[in-house]
Amino acid sequence: MQLGFLVDLRLCMGCKGCEIACKVENEVPLSTWRLRVKYVDVGTFPETKRTFTPLRCNHCANAPCERICPVSALHYLENGIVNIDKERCIGCAGCVMACPYGAIYIDPQTQTADKCTYCAHRIASSMMPSCVVACPVEANIFGDLDDPMSSISKYIQSHQGDVQVRKVEKGTDPHHYYVGGGNVTLNPLASIREEGHNLYNNITHLPVGGHH
Amino acid sequence: MAHEMIAATNAIVTLDVALPGIVWGWIITMNMWAKSIGTGIIFLGFYLLKKHPEQTGFIRFPVVAISIVFIHIFLFFTVIDLHQMFRFWHIFFYPHVTSAITIGAWMATGFVGLLLGMAYAIYMKKDEALYDKLLNYTVILAVPVTLYTAGLMAQSTARELWQMPTESAQMILAALLAGSAMMILLGGNKFSDAVKKDLAIVLGLAAAASFILYMAELVFGPMKAEEVAAVLHYIKGGEYTIMFWIGQVMAFLVPMALVCLSLKNQSYYLLKIAAVSALVGLWVSKHVWLVIPQLLPMS
Repeated sequence: MQLGFLVDLRLCMGCKGCEIACKVENEVPLSTWRLRVKYVDVGTFPETKRTFTPLRCNHCANAPCERICPVSALHYLENGIVNIDKERCIGCAGCVMACPYGAIYIDPQTQTADKCTYCAHRIASSMMPSCVVACPVEANIFGDLDDPMSSISKYIQSHQGDVQVRKVEKGTDPHHYYVGGGNVTLNPLASIREEGHNLYNNITHLPVGGHH
Repeated sequence: MAHEMIAATNAIVTLDVALPGIVWGWIITMNMWAKSIGTGIIFLGFYLLKKHPEQTGFIRFPVVAISIVFIHIFLFFTVIDLHQMFRFWHIFFYPHVTSAITIGAWMATGFVGLLLGMAYAIYMKKDEALYDKLLNYTVILAVPVTLYTAGLMAQSTARELWQMPTESAQMILAALLAGSAMMILLGGNKFSDAVKKDLAIVLGLAAAASFILYMAELVFGPMKAEEVAAVLHYIKGGEYTIMFWIGQVMAFLVPMALVCLSLKNQSYYLLKIAAVSALVGLWVSKHVWLVIPQLLPMS
């Protein structure tokens, strides 16, 4: 079994229901996110549009975070999920340095690394990840990539010309796919971040990662 | 490519979470800097004791003492950087051997053991033969202890700037630079002219080679990867430009110039200034190189 995720960006409307569901399900502390939706505005007024990209751990088959973790706190489950054992983590932040997707953070409460686990605890109880359940337009598709009859495998087969992953050049073999994506949505270097262009400005951030 | 794309699309991020900021900061810089001195002094001590045994016998105890002090500074900063520092023992009881951190911790532990053995041999037993025998093993182990940080940086897949072949060369050169600088400061005027000349040449060549590598990265790095080009903008007119050049001048250019002048004028005073400049500049150079890839958004 190899569990994977697919997000159809053509369907996503940026409601952030998945973000909130994830926060509630996994008790993700303030100032940190296991899953978040990035907004990128494209074009010049009045010809503009807004794109929405849910971002989470890619559960790579060749995961740099798993390789760099000195204590195997990050480890593979039999179903392909890259899981984390917060009791074992020493908080070296090697995984934060290694993840090319910026999906790992230091939990300010436990002072250990944390990230999306595809809701491994729910999977173990034969439930879908909370973000999948919360999505009102079924933009999140989850399932077994090894099973050709699973919904995710069928979705990939029927959209073969439009399926992408992020940062293929890193050789991580991610198990998180996007349909309807492009450079603007998937490449962080293809958009700019400027003061004054955020939906919310002058935000007060809690200290991230503790003592630095 | 991205610049052209941004110009064409006017794509602006309007909502994303805050960047994690600099997770590996000055504490890790201290770690790398102290380790360079701790292993570098062993390299130079080994070299001098082999090449000039008659004139350098007095360095045996100071070399091992300095190495022990700086390796423990390195270990101290390694541990306090952990967000769960009291779980440090997990590295030894739940080791993951694919991680450069694990390998480095084991190597450093062995290295400290050998250093303590050397200190025992020279201070308690007054046994130079045993000291020299242990030094042979210590200098071998000093190589992976120096290099493991380069392995760690190479395993940081997200940071394209840190490439393994270059970083490993930079780590060894940093150790030679720091080791020769510390040895120059240690020796006072007790060294003969031949020893001083050797130390000056090692310092000058390490500085020159390191500077060439940094400049090569600066010029040719952007041609290889877009991500590297974006990172290097922080030192090409960006917020770390001044700090980067302060580091380059102090760590490499000033020592190179002063080494040439000291060799010409046979001035040990200039060599000492070069050594201090190299040690300070090395910290600054390492810090800039550590920090800038962390400023780039990953999402």
